Amino acid sequence: MTMNKSNLVKFYSTYKLYIFPTVVGLSALFLILFVIYPQAVKLVTNQKKEGELVNKSEFLESKVLALESYDGEDLSRKLEYTLSAFPEEKDFGNVIGLLQQLAGQSGFNVSSIALGASSSKAKQESYEVKLEVTGAKALIQTLLSNLENSPRLIQVGGIEISSSSSQGTDVSLTISVLYSPILTNFGSIDSPLPQLSQQEEELISRLSRETSIVSGLPTNAALTPRGKVNPFE
Amino acid sequence: MVKISINLLPKEFALEEIKKARFYKIQAAGVAIILIMIFLASLTMALRILQSQNITRVQARLSAAEQQVNNLKDTQASLLLLKNRLSLIDQVLNSPSKEVLMYKLMDKLIPAQVIVNSVTIGKAGEVKFTAVVPDGQVLENLLVNLTTNEKNDNKIAQVSIETLNRSRGGLYRVNIKVKPK
Repeated sequence: MTMNKSNLVKFYSTYKLYIFPTVVGLSALFLILFVIYPQAVKLVTNQKKEGELVNKSEFLESKVLALESYDGEDLSRKLEYTLSAFPEEKDFGNVIGLLQQLAGQSGFNVSSIALGASSSKAKQESYEVKLEVTGAKALIQTLLSNLENSPRLIQVGGIEISSSSSQGTDVSLTISVLYSPILTNFGSIDSPLPQLSQQEEELISRLSRETSIVSGLPTNAALTPRGKVNPFE
Repeated sequence: MVKISINLLPKEFALEEIKKARFYKIQAAGVAIILIMIFLASLTMALRILQSQNITRVQARLSAAEQQVNNLKDTQASLLLLKNRLSLIDQVLNSPSKEVLMYKLMDKLIPAQVIVNSVTIGKAGEVKFTAVVPDGQVLENLLVNLTTNEKNDNKIAQVSIETLNRSRGGLYRVNIKVKPK
């Protein structure tokens, strides 16, 4: 044993000039390979990850602030206006009442209202209503304008006018009443929050104005939205 | 005066001294390298620990924000739905009915003296009307209005007279078909 040790010491003394630098080199290499390099790589990747987390967190905090700035009641009211103008399902009752009201408001008498077929186009669906009215020819433009500016989204799809009636002009209108099913995707936590533009605010004001004009008429067929006021409940 | 140095030591001893000096230098450099490596390793470890603490803090902040957004998801859904509805409403309002536009155009182009008996406007905006025209001059005015681009706002592609009858009293009964552009 002592022989071995003295041999080792002698061996080291003879070759220490080579052994020491080799041991130092290997130790340095070990530290670089197994500690410094992996930690440095982790440091860089985690730096990116931390940056992303900070960005996401700042985004969510600004989103919370933006969401908190909305008045829930005001938003529900605006939603109510848009859903009464463009509901998620067929609203025959409202539409018949509204058409009678608009025809009366334009100086026409309703002869008949017939419900027709449904159709689907892009994101919107519609059903046809055939409206037959009688009135003065001079008021047809008023009737068409009133229908076009109706608080309920409708489109005049066909016009037939004949002056045979003794009571005035007979007008038959094919009206497409639009509706569209409610969105099913309401965005994820990190989806960006849309802002209402000035133009959209003006549109909401217009819808609310038109709804109140129609609801305020004496022959009230109040235009009320069908279905749930808050569709998320 | 020139100094004379005489080295009487054996050559092996001198070589041994040189080796020792070289080894000390190597030893110093080696120790320095090891110390630098230990310093770098400690530094990276310390930075990693600090970074982990930061990440934990940011994750907690993120979770809190996510929770707050979750609590406000009804507002978000209302807003998205409102935005979607408004964009659909805007699309519809920005595409006015071709039939109504054609009716308004016809109303503008048909002279007041013309008695229109019936008007039919189809889905593509195609207009068919039957009218009684009091004389040839008014009929000409009607046709000029319908066929002149300046007067019809360049909105009419084709005008066809399907029937034209003249009665004894000089009245014209016409059946006209108008195709929009």
